[in-house]
Amino acid sequence: MKFFRRLRRNPSISKTNPDAIFALSSAYITLETKLGLKNTGRSALSLKVVDGMYFEDMKQDVQQFLDASKSEFGMRYRVVKDSYGYLWIIVEAGRMEDNLAGLTAISDTVEEKGFADQLLAVVFEFSITMDKNSIAYLIYNYKRNKFYPFVPAGQKNRDSEQEMKILAAADQELPFEKDMSLWYPLWDLPL
Amino acid sequence: MILSFAILTLLYLIFLSVLAYLGLGAVPIIIIASAMILAQFYFSDRIVLWSSGAKVVSREQYPQLHEIIERIVARNNLPKPRVAIIDTNMPNAFATGRGRKSSVVAVTTGLLQILDTEEVEGVIAHELTHIRNRDALVLTLASLFSTVAWYLMQFGFYGGLYGGGGYGYGGRDRNSGGAMIIILLVAMLTWVVSFLIIRAISRYREFAADRGSAQMTGKPVKLANALLKISGSMRRIPTKDLRQVEGLNAFFIVPALTGSTIANLFSTHPPVEKRVQKLMEMEASMS
Repeated sequence: MKFFRRLRRNPSISKTNPDAIFALSSAYITLETKLGLKNTGRSALSLKVVDGMYFEDMKQDVQQFLDASKSEFGMRYRVVKDSYGYLWIIVEAGRMEDNLAGLTAISDTVEEKGFADQLLAVVFEFSITMDKNSIAYLIYNYKRNKFYPFVPAGQKNRDSEQEMKILAAADQELPFEKDMSLWYPLWDLPL
Repeated sequence: MILSFAILTLLYLIFLSVLAYLGLGAVPIIIIASAMILAQFYFSDRIVLWSSGAKVVSREQYPQLHEIIERIVARNNLPKPRVAIIDTNMPNAFATGRGRKSSVVAVTTGLLQILDTEEVEGVIAHELTHIRNRDALVLTLASLFSTVAWYLMQFGFYGGLYGGGGYGYGGRDRNSGGAMIIILLVAMLTWVVSFLIIRAISRYREFAADRGSAQMTGKPVKLANALLKISGSMRRIPTKDLRQVEGLNAFFIVPALTGSTIANLFSTHPPVEKRVQKLMEMEASMS
């Protein structure tokens, strides 16, 4: 039966599911109590840059929205372009809820303007309190509508043990990517 | 180890078939068969150690490994097994022996190289659970069943044919060709089914040993990590950047039928992903 389900499910037409991201509004507390992962309040959305007027328009709209909600949420933001040709909108709000609200509003704007296919991922930053100066990330992949952990450990190395702990701790609450071969990292994040 | 048992079983079957063909009675064949299986069970540790090239090592040669094993054994009130080392880069471990007292735990030098102390502990605890659960005995009994099933099959059919002699020899001759084929088919089917059952039992015992290891060490994540390292699945967690693969449409590929379902039926161990998943569930319920 699994075979037929695979045939029927066409991943290329999967639509972004905002509920999936919002599941993090409770799951981050679980991560903190179970693993001591503290949300740093920093998160980022990345999308592939397209040359052209429409893309610039969309970028303006997003920035206008962010400027407007700056005072309301006490939110700071930066827009950075990386060497891979991806645009990063880095949002810093005190609370996870404000972060999530801000990020979903941004991705809604991007989708409305017809750039849904350009959306790559949302990244949430956590600090590991038990291990000083160690950082963990939760990556939300737009193409898969799923979360996966990413814990960098030095030069192009990953702390897979910590990653699996994150998977185990929040598996019940977050839509996690079960196929570990799709846990693609994002190195040198501009967060 | 399981493979060698399977091959041995096959050899028995051929041997017993030859004996049956030579017209030996049922009772001598049953006696010979049980003697062989008992001998296999009794000498299993020596057979396995010899065929794998494992060498029993003393506390002086491998103090660290001995200490790890002594720690787990003391905590869980188990008799300490003998410790053996296999000199190969392939990371692996096994336990053998007919009872709790005469058992051996063997690890490869490759395993000790790639795993850290806590991961080795997880693997050893897994093997110790196999010993505690007497899994070697369970599997020997299971293969005994398949041997007996095979023999009964043949005996029943021959018996049925001779019993039906009342029809006269002419009747038997007419049907003997078809009957032989049926005998062969049913016997093969019996053997295949019991072979698959043995594999299923073995896979179940693996899960049980994982659970036992998690309870002994209290750290299922360490065994999960060790399993990933041993199976080379560590490489499955990619290091290539998402932005690099995004253009390759890596996410649109519909997973092909890899034939893994069929492979699963025949394998003695459950897939690593499944085992890791179960271990992580245990980790989640422990923390």
